[in-house]
Amino acid sequence: MDEIIVQTKGITKYFPGVLANDHIDFELKKGEIHTLLGENGAGKSTLMNILDGIYHPDKGEIYINGNKVHIQSPFDAMANSIGMIHQHFMLVDTLTVLENVALGLKSQGFYIRKPEIAKQIKQISQKYHFNINPYSKIWQLSVGEQQRVEIIKTLFRGAEILILDEPTAVLTPQESDDLFKIVKKLVKEGKSIIFISHKLDEVMEISDRITVLRKGKVVGTVNKNDVTKSHLAKMMVGREVLFSLKRKPLKRKGEVLKVKELEAYNDKGVKALKKISFTVAASEIFGIAGISGNGQKILAQVITGLRRATSGKIIVNEIDITNASPKAITSSGVNYIPPDRLKVGLIPNLNTVENAILRCYDREPISKRNFIDYKEAAEYTKSLIRKFNIMVPKIDAPVKLLSGGNMQKLLSAREIAEEPKLLIAVHPTRGLDVGATEYIRKQLLKERDNGLAVLLISEDLDEILMVSDRIGVIYEGQIMKVLNIKDAERNKIGLLMAGVDSARN
Amino acid sequence: MLLFEKRENVSTKLKVAIPLISVFLGLVAGGIAILFTRTNPLIVYQALVKGAFSSVYTFSETLVVAIPLILISAGLIVAFKMNFWNIGAYGQYIMGAIFGSFFALNMPATMSRPLLLAIMCLAGILGGALWGLIPAALKAFWEVNEVISTLLLNYIALYILKYLMYGPWRNPASHGFPLSKPFELNAQLPRLLMRTRVHLGLVFGIIAVIIIYILITKTKFGYEIRVIGENKRAARYGGINITKNIFIAMAISGGLAGLAGLAQLSGVIHMLQIEINPGYGYTAIIVAWLASLNPIIAMFVSVVFGGLETGGYQIQMAIRVPFGIVGTIESAVLFFLLGGEILKRYRIRFRRNTS
Amino acid sequence: MKLTATTILITLLATTVRSGTILLFPTIGEIFTERTGILNLGIEGMMVIGAFFGFVVAYITKNPYLGFIIGTLAGGAAALIHAFISITLRGNQVVSGLALTIFGLGITSFYGQRWINNKLPESIPTVVVPGLSKIPFIGSIFFRQDYIVYFSYILVLALWFILYKTKPGIHLRASGQNARAADAMGVNVNATRYFWTFFGGLMAGAGGAYLTIAYATFWLEGITAGRGWIAVALVIFAMWNPINALIGAYLFGGISALQFQLQASGTTMPSSLLSMQPYLLTFIIIIIATLIVRARHLGAPKELGTPYSREEK
Repeated sequence: MDEIIVQTKGITKYFPGVLANDHIDFELKKGEIHTLLGENGAGKSTLMNILDGIYHPDKGEIYINGNKVHIQSPFDAMANSIGMIHQHFMLVDTLTVLENVALGLKSQGFYIRKPEIAKQIKQISQKYHFNINPYSKIWQLSVGEQQRVEIIKTLFRGAEILILDEPTAVLTPQESDDLFKIVKKLVKEGKSIIFISHKLDEVMEISDRITVLRKGKVVGTVNKNDVTKSHLAKMMVGREVLFSLKRKPLKRKGEVLKVKELEAYNDKGVKALKKISFTVAASEIFGIAGISGNGQKILAQVITGLRRATSGKIIVNEIDITNASPKAITSSGVNYIPPDRLKVGLIPNLNTVENAILRCYDREPISKRNFIDYKEAAEYTKSLIRKFNIMVPKIDAPVKLLSGGNMQKLLSAREIAEEPKLLIAVHPTRGLDVGATEYIRKQLLKERDNGLAVLLISEDLDEILMVSDRIGVIYEGQIMKVLNIKDAERNKIGLLMAGVDSARN
Repeated sequence: MLLFEKRENVSTKLKVAIPLISVFLGLVAGGIAILFTRTNPLIVYQALVKGAFSSVYTFSETLVVAIPLILISAGLIVAFKMNFWNIGAYGQYIMGAIFGSFFALNMPATMSRPLLLAIMCLAGILGGALWGLIPAALKAFWEVNEVISTLLLNYIALYILKYLMYGPWRNPASHGFPLSKPFELNAQLPRLLMRTRVHLGLVFGIIAVIIIYILITKTKFGYEIRVIGENKRAARYGGINITKNIFIAMAISGGLAGLAGLAQLSGVIHMLQIEINPGYGYTAIIVAWLASLNPIIAMFVSVVFGGLETGGYQIQMAIRVPFGIVGTIESAVLFFLLGGEILKRYRIRFRRNTS
Repeated sequence: MKLTATTILITLLATTVRSGTILLFPTIGEIFTERTGILNLGIEGMMVIGAFFGFVVAYITKNPYLGFIIGTLAGGAAALIHAFISITLRGNQVVSGLALTIFGLGITSFYGQRWINNKLPESIPTVVVPGLSKIPFIGSIFFRQDYIVYFSYILVLALWFILYKTKPGIHLRASGQNARAADAMGVNVNATRYFWTFFGGLMAGAGGAYLTIAYATFWLEGITAGRGWIAVALVIFAMWNPINALIGAYLFGGISALQFQLQASGTTMPSSLLSMQPYLLTFIIIIIATLIVRARHLGAPKELGTPYSREEK
């Protein structure tokens, strides 16, 4: 039972601007459940996508059962008995389970022998207690059931090694329990599992061994029984001391944002916010720390009116803005720097001026009656460019031609220039170079000094620690704990981010 | 292996060169098709241009054909800018014609001409607008694919027309043919130029183009629909009311198509019948696309199409080249332009298959 | 007297089958094209190309079947233009389809001038199916037809089978509903789309060829008279299902045959009203379907009109 079935040696992978995998040595033993643990951007998904043939490593080797292999595509992976279940399912919703399993199956000829395939599916389903009817249409199935169809697809094709990428992200607690039962059964039947997660409670429950990644490197591989959650958290978040930006001490003024027992669902119908509550004051930066997928984006969307809250309240300066329209919310003094500048915040094919006026195009002096005075608009844009030091070679060229940093500066400038009472900034420095990053952070601090209340949501714990006055750690749609910056200790936050209940005290 | 690599940006030189080369290649392809009939393509092209633009009369005929295209394409541009694929101009045109004809056929011949015409025009706009609002509502509230809903509504409009023409609105004196009573003089749009068929509709067209141009480039509405068309999520994020804009845009688009139908009837045909050239609805889509959704360019493209049609009839009579050559040339040019489009967005790279 | 009425009805219905067959081919072809995600509004153009080439070959070779085959192939060739523009060059499918229609009508009108006064010596021969044709009423309608009609019966069944029971069927449905998933599972989405777009052209050509060879036996420019456009609507009416296409095609075939008769006798009003009902019905069905389940499994293929490329997200 100790044979090594998958081994990687020195896997290295570059993406523009980032070293995603840095000489990673990893091994999977036959019949074990081996978890890959790490924060966002640690490199877990990249490594697994390399094993699945979606990415090709720049350096390093992969060995399956002791033999060196080259995995160029998911088919090579499958040929090597590796099957991956991604976070986003590859299912066609109008087809049946059987048809989805048969899709692309090389062993079938022209005619699909449905009874045969159905029998095999039923066998697999019975063995692992999947409870899936091969003739159901995918759109009729729950998310948990769809996930099981994905597992069936890999087992059907003879997978011996299964990679599960954050499988519980889309499941209810009950479904997660069911999944764990299935995983344990798979292992009993001789399969080997690589489990990707960032939830420490789960990890401790299901794993045999755990490999922690951090910023592309392996921090260490441990046996579950030899560690505590605290150890793991420490390994996950590290203990570097980063320089802190100089700032004036916190002088919390009145309460600007009050979120009370807010609830909302994500696109898959799973509850993403579970009675979440917190407040943000004027002249304060409240940072929400957490691993991606715990409800942060949903929270921002609900507060800014882009998603419905199913219960609870959002109050800004004593006004209830719960489920108000985005326009009404903006008028109440709330501005939003969204995480996706190209898909949501800016309009890539329109020019800088047209993007700059997105918030104020229907107000004087830019708008007069029903017309837009583009000369005024250009003046306004130029003033933004000057004030915020944005590099725009041609003001009437499509904004997608600007560098990432300048696009983000434009986006931030536009929102901050509205002089809001509350600014919600989500991943404001993602994908930016050092200079732009520092600039934006300084800008946030400056506005905070001027009285702005800032709700900062970021995957980058360092950024949160650098800039926030108070930190709320979010996990599975709830605030685990709120800490003052002086009490904010890296390891503690790491534990909270990974869902360890006991860290609340 | 042929690979397409996304281009970072397009130089203006390319933006102009690619369409020009495409047009040229299309004309060459058309020329080759002509060669098969042992006719000199250059003579045909020359005759085509002559037949369309050489005399006052032929130019006026070109304009007559162009008028509905100008109106409809202007309206389509508004819808397309918002990424709303209105394939239903055909039906909206018909409904405009029907609504307007109601007044033409039922108001007394003694009624004041300007008044009657004004009412008819408003009715035409209303008819088209209503027909355009149906798919707008279906999309806004129930996310029904607008290509399908507008397409189906075309057929329904056609059959409403057929019903009326074979039924209650049929002229008893027409010996069973599906025609209405001819319009009295007061229901006819006045001619602009003596001894030509160019009617007031041309003025409508020019005014429409100017209004649509101003609407799109200088108003809040124009800004909002451009944002919606380019990035719907950003529009929602920016607080733009998408539903309201879908309705307004389709009311305008349908309304202009309806006005075109009314103008064609009142200015040229002078009666309601089954054959009222609703093919304009589809051609206008091509015009709008060719004009890159610029209403002023669309006006000129409409005239070119008008010229092709008029020229085509002329060469059929004059040098006995069948009218079908027009369609052949048109489509050849279109195919090359369609193909050329990709070069604006992507660069072609040849890559050897890596093992 | 009863005998005469029945005979008239049977003749009418038999004509319905033939008239419906003209519509059946392009409808079923476009169903498969759209099922893979490609919208081809060029059906009218492909049909008239098939009509023209089919007629010319049948006239020259005096072999209607050869004419049918060549007409079919011509339609397919025309479709390849649209396929190339839509799939490889990712061009605008609406405009490309419209251009194809203009192309078909234009080029056949252009080259077809000199064929206008020719007539085929005889229509395609009727072949009586032994045994089946003796069934009262139905036998006379469905089994006293020509080989092409019989071919169409088999074709519909075969295509239904392919769509729902075979691997190509699953692949094509996946390509039109979720191209990304299909690609991930190893389906060559673009090749699938090329094939079924070509097939759609073949079918449109077949419909046109049947029109000139068996139904009309002469050539006139624009002889398809908008049938291609009716096929576009029938695809939606059939909700992209081949069996419904059969029903729809015969329904419309029947209505147009009926309209002809009624028009001749001067009472046309009811027929116009009759014609409108299928469209209204479709419309209501689509709205209800969309309302109830957001059209995910009853409506248009999700990828309809959207080109697919692996890199783009």
